[in-house]
Amino acid sequence: MARRLAGFLVLLLVVSICEAAFLFQPISDSHRSTALELFTPDHGSFKSLEETYEALRTFQILGIEKKPDLTATACRSISETVGSSSSTAKDLFYALKANSIAECKIDKKASKGIISRLKAAVSGASSLLDFYYSVGGLVLIKDQSSEADVHLADAEGVFRSVKAFSQSDGRWRYSSNNPESSAFAAGIALETHAGIVSLASSEIDQSLICTLKNDIIKLFDSIEKYDDGALYFDDKLVDGHEYQGPVSTTSSVLRGLTAFAAVTAENLNLPGDKILGLAKFFLGIGVPGDAKDFFNQIDSLACLESNRVSIPLILSFPSTVLSLTRKDSLKVGVSTVLGSEVPSLTVKLVGAFSSGSKDASLVESQELNFDKTSGLHILNDLPKSIDVGSYTFVFEIVLHEPKHEEVYFKGSQTKVPISVTGLIKIENSEIAVLDSDLGSIESQKKLDLAGKYAISLSANHLQKLRLSFQLTTPRGRSFKPHQAFLKLRHESKVEHIFVVGNSGKQFEIVLNFLGLVEKFFYLSGKYDMELTVGDAAMENSLLVAIGHIELDLPEAPEKAPRPPPQPVDPYSRYGPKAEITHIFRAPEKRPPQELSLAFLGLTILPLLGFLIGLLRLGVNLKNFPTKPLPATFAVLFHVGIGAVLLLYVFFWVKLDLFQTLKILGFLGGILVFVGHRILSHLAAASAKLKSA
Amino acid sequence: MGKLWLICIASISILLPFLCNAFSPETPTDRRVLVLLDDFAIMSSHSLYFNALKSRGFDLEFKLADDPKIALQRYGQYLYDALILFCPSVERFGGSIDVAAIVNFVDSGHDLIVAADVNASDLIREVGTECGVDFDEDPSAMVIDHIGYAVSGTEGDHTLIASDDFIKSDVILGAKKIEAPILFRGIGHAVSPANSLVLKVLSASPSAYSANPKSKLSTPPPLTGSAISLVSIVQARNNARLLITGSLSMFSNRFFRSGVQKAGSQTKHGKSGNEQFLTEISKWIFHERGHLKAINVKHHRVGETDEPALYRINDELEYSVEIYEWSGTSWEPYVANDVQLQFYMMSPYVLKTLSSDKKGLYSTSFKVPDVYGVFQFKVEHQKLGYTSLSLSKQIPVRPYRHNEYERFIPAAYPYYGAAFSMMAGFFIFSFVHLYSK
Repeated sequence: MARRLAGFLVLLLVVSICEAAFLFQPISDSHRSTALELFTPDHGSFKSLEETYEALRTFQILGIEKKPDLTATACRSISETVGSSSSTAKDLFYALKANSIAECKIDKKASKGIISRLKAAVSGASSLLDFYYSVGGLVLIKDQSSEADVHLADAEGVFRSVKAFSQSDGRWRYSSNNPESSAFAAGIALETHAGIVSLASSEIDQSLICTLKNDIIKLFDSIEKYDDGALYFDDKLVDGHEYQGPVSTTSSVLRGLTAFAAVTAENLNLPGDKILGLAKFFLGIGVPGDAKDFFNQIDSLACLESNRVSIPLILSFPSTVLSLTRKDSLKVGVSTVLGSEVPSLTVKLVGAFSSGSKDASLVESQELNFDKTSGLHILNDLPKSIDVGSYTFVFEIVLHEPKHEEVYFKGSQTKVPISVTGLIKIENSEIAVLDSDLGSIESQKKLDLAGKYAISLSANHLQKLRLSFQLTTPRGRSFKPHQAFLKLRHESKVEHIFVVGNSGKQFEIVLNFLGLVEKFFYLSGKYDMELTVGDAAMENSLLVAIGHIELDLPEAPEKAPRPPPQPVDPYSRYGPKAEITHIFRAPEKRPPQELSLAFLGLTILPLLGFLIGLLRLGVNLKNFPTKPLPATFAVLFHVGIGAVLLLYVFFWVKLDLFQTLKILGFLGGILVFVGHRILSHLAAASAKLKSA
Repeated sequence: MGKLWLICIASISILLPFLCNAFSPETPTDRRVLVLLDDFAIMSSHSLYFNALKSRGFDLEFKLADDPKIALQRYGQYLYDALILFCPSVERFGGSIDVAAIVNFVDSGHDLIVAADVNASDLIREVGTECGVDFDEDPSAMVIDHIGYAVSGTEGDHTLIASDDFIKSDVILGAKKIEAPILFRGIGHAVSPANSLVLKVLSASPSAYSANPKSKLSTPPPLTGSAISLVSIVQARNNARLLITGSLSMFSNRFFRSGVQKAGSQTKHGKSGNEQFLTEISKWIFHERGHLKAINVKHHRVGETDEPALYRINDELEYSVEIYEWSGTSWEPYVANDVQLQFYMMSPYVLKTLSSDKKGLYSTSFKVPDVYGVFQFKVEHQKLGYTSLSLSKQIPVRPYRHNEYERFIPAAYPYYGAAFSMMAGFFIFSFVHLYSK
C-alpha cells in the first residue's frame, strides 16, 4: 500500500512538477480543449448513458457549448431507456442524470411507471448500490418535476438499512455479505443518505443524522496526505475489481459530502484546510488523459465550488520566474478552483525567505495592488533586498467583507517558490601561465568572455595555468554560480573537467601541470579550453571557447595509464565500404605472330635443303619392285607410313591419345606385315644382286 | 453450448503462445505489449502516448510493476512481444519477473522501452546497465542546462530542458523533420564507447551537466556536455530493439501538449516535439520501420538462368537479391544505393555496390577472380537504424580443365612446323633409302 502511494506520489510530482511543486493552477482553457478531445462520441453516440452523462456534465461545468447532435442522440437513448420496461435501476439512474442536463421531454406515463418501479426497487434493495441507484433516481425525478409524488413512506427504515452497511472507521460495505469496506462506498452511501433525507415525507430523526456526521468525521481521519498539502482518500487494493483509484474514490466522497451538506441545514464542522487539501489534490493531477478521471476531477471541483462548507480560494501565478533585467512585477491571481470570480479581497506579501536558509524575512509585510483590467494583484517593484536567486514568498489573503469569511476558505498562508534572475557582470577575467617555482608570470592575457577571439598559450609540465574572474549580481553582491567548469579537450577528444572554485568574490583555478601529467595521460599537444559559467538565476549563462594551450608534457613511462577509448562517430561506423575489384593475373607475354610465322618458315628450310640435296644427288626410284605383288606391298607400306604420319596430324588437330593409339595399333599391325614383306623382298633382291 | 465454449478457450490458450512471438518476418503483426507501471494513474496522465500505440494496433496490457501475478512467459512461451517499463521507482518486480527475465526476454528478440526518472530505483538502473547505458549514480542528480533550457514562467531551476540534438537518421526519427525541441526532465545517462550497439538518439547540449540542482558542486560532475545521452536506443544483434530514457515525464500528456520555447531563441513552438519524436521512435522500436528482409537470392552465369553448382575462374556472373522493408502493414521495396556484395574467401576478392531498380531488386555482375577455392557471396548490409542483413552463400570456384586451355598457340608454330617438316622429310627419305639406286 505504501509503495503504491509512493508510486502515485511520483506520478503526482511528474504531472505537477513543471509548475513547481506546491503550486496549483485553476482550471483553464487547456482543460476545455482536452475535454473536447476526450469526450468524442464514436459514431454519434456514447457507449453508455453513464458516459453520456459524464460528457454532458463536464461540458456543462466547463461552459462548453454543447453540440446539438450530442443532446439529440442523448435524448433518444434516454427516452429509449426510460420507455423500456426491462431497463435496470442503474440504467434509469444514469438516464435521469443525463436528462437533468439534456432536459429532454419524457412523457408522463413513462415517468409514473419509473417512479413506481424505483420505489419497488428501494423497498426490495439489498445492497448499497441498489439503494444508491433507486434512491438517486427518485431524487432526480423530484428535482426535475415538482408535482410527481416521490416521497418515501418509510424513509427512516430505508435510512437505517443503508446505515447498516457502515463500518466503525467511517467506511461502508457494498452489501452485507461482502466484508470489504471502502471509502468509495462511503461516498455513495452519503449521497444515498442525502437522497433519502430529501425524499423523506417527514423529518428524519436528528440522532440518525448526527451519527452520520460522526461517520464523516471518522472518514476524514483516514484521509491521506501528500507533501505538497494535497489530501485524498484511497482504498486498499482488493482484488482489483472494485478498486477505483484515488481520483474516483476522493471524488465519490466529495460528491456524497456535498449532497449531504446540501440537505442538512447544520454545519458539518469540517476544517477548511481539509477542503483546501482536497481542492489541491484535484488541481494537482493536472489534465487527466482518461475520460473517467477527467469527469471526476471536473465534477469534484464543481462540488467544491458550490459546496456549503466553504469554497476554497486558490492563488495562481502567471509567472514565478522574475527577471530583474526586465523589471518583472510579481503578479498574483486569486480565483476559485474552476477559475471563476471571487469577492473583493487583498493579497498580502507577508514575507520572503531565501530558500535553504532559515533567516528572518527579507521584506516587510506589504499589500499588493489590485489591477482591475487584468484582475491580478501586482507588486510592481521587487524590494531592493531581493537579489537574484530562489526565494520562498509567503502570501496571505485578506477578505474585505467579514461575511465572506464563512463562505470562502482562504487558507492561512501560501508559500510559493519564486526565482529571481538577472544579468551577472563578469569582470577582471584573466588567464596566465605561471612559472612553477617562482610564481612569476610567464605570459598573461586579458580575457573578454563575451568576445569571440581565441587566445593561444603554451606551457610545459613545470608551469601552471591560472584562470580567474569575478562575478557580481545586479545588486552589486558577489555571485556563486552552480556551474563553473573549465574544460580542456585534447586533440584526441580526451576531456578533462575542472570546477572553478571561489574565494570570496574572486573565482580562480590554478592548474599545476606537474601534478596533472598522469591525469592527462602524458598527452602532449594542443588542448582546447572551454569555460562554462551557468546558474538558474543567471540570465547570461555562457559557454565560451577561450582558445587553446599547447602543452609540452614528458614522454609517457612504460606503465602509464592509457587514455580511455573515445566514442566512435556512429555515422562513420556504418556506411558503404570502398569497392574492391580483383586484379587478374596478367597473361603471359608472347612473341608477335609475325615472328612465329617467320620462324615457322625457317623450320621448313631444312626440308627444302634436303629435297634440293636429294635432287642434286640424283636420286631415283629404280629399285622399286617391278613384280606386281612386291609392288603392291611397297605401295601399301608407304601408304601405311603416310597414314601413320597423317594420324599424327589428326592427333594434333583433334584426336585424343586413346583414339590415336587404337588407330595406331591397327595401322602398326598392317605396317609390320607389309613392311616385313617388302623389306624381305628388297633384302632378297639385294642378296641376289650381291651373289650375282 | 458450454462444451463449445470450453473448446474455444482451450484452443485459444493453445494458440496464444504461438501468436505472441517476437517480431519475425513470417508473422510481423499480432503484437502484444506488457506495460508495467508504478501506478495506474500513469495510464491517465500518459494516455496520449498509450493511445497513439493503441491506434496503431498494439494490444497494451497494463499491470502494476509489483503485481504478484505478472509473468513474461508461461510454459516456455513468451506471452508478449514487447515490454514497456514505466515504473522508475519499483524496487522489485512482482511475479516471476526480474532483471534476468527481462534480459532473457530481450535476448529472445523482444523489444523493450525503459523510462527511468529522478530517484530511479536500483532495479531500473540495473536494467539500464544490462541494456548498455549507465545512469548517473547520484540518486538526486538531474540533467541541468543553463543555456539550453526551456523557457517557462513557473519553473526556474533549468532542469526542464529543451533539446534538439537528434541523431541524423530518417529511419529512426521518420522522414519528417522534428521542428520543435523535445522537453526533457530527468536523469542523464552515458553510453559506453566500447558498445557499438547503443546509439544516442537525443543528446544533451555541450553546456549541460548532470548534478543535484539543490547542492553545491565541489567535484566535477561525472556526466557533462554532449556525452550525456537523454534518449538512447539499442539494436541488439538479434534485432531486438530497446529504448532507454531518463525521463518518464517526457511521455506525459502534459509534455506532449505543452508549448516550448528554447532559451535564447525567439521562436515559440505551440507544441513540443515530444509527441512526434516519441511516436516516431516507437515506430522504430516496434519494427514498423527499418526492419529488412532479403529474399530470392539468385546468381548465375551471364546469359544463363540456372544457378550452377560451381563456377570456373574468370566466369562472368550475375547476382541479384530482393530486399524489402516492413512498413507496419506490408513489406515495401527497400530503396538504397549502398547495398554491397562481397565475393569472399578469407577476405573479400570482389566488393561491389549493387545497383537497384527502386522496386526492391538489387543486382550486379562481375567476373569471377582467377583464384580457385571455396568462395562465399556475402551481403553484409549494416546501416544506421536498419536491422543488419547478413546473407552468405557458399560457392566453389574451380580452375580450367586441361582441355579448356588454348589449343593452337601461334608462338608454338615453329615447333609444329619443325615436327611436320621432319615427318615429311622422313616420308621422302623412306622412298629414297629403299628404292634409290
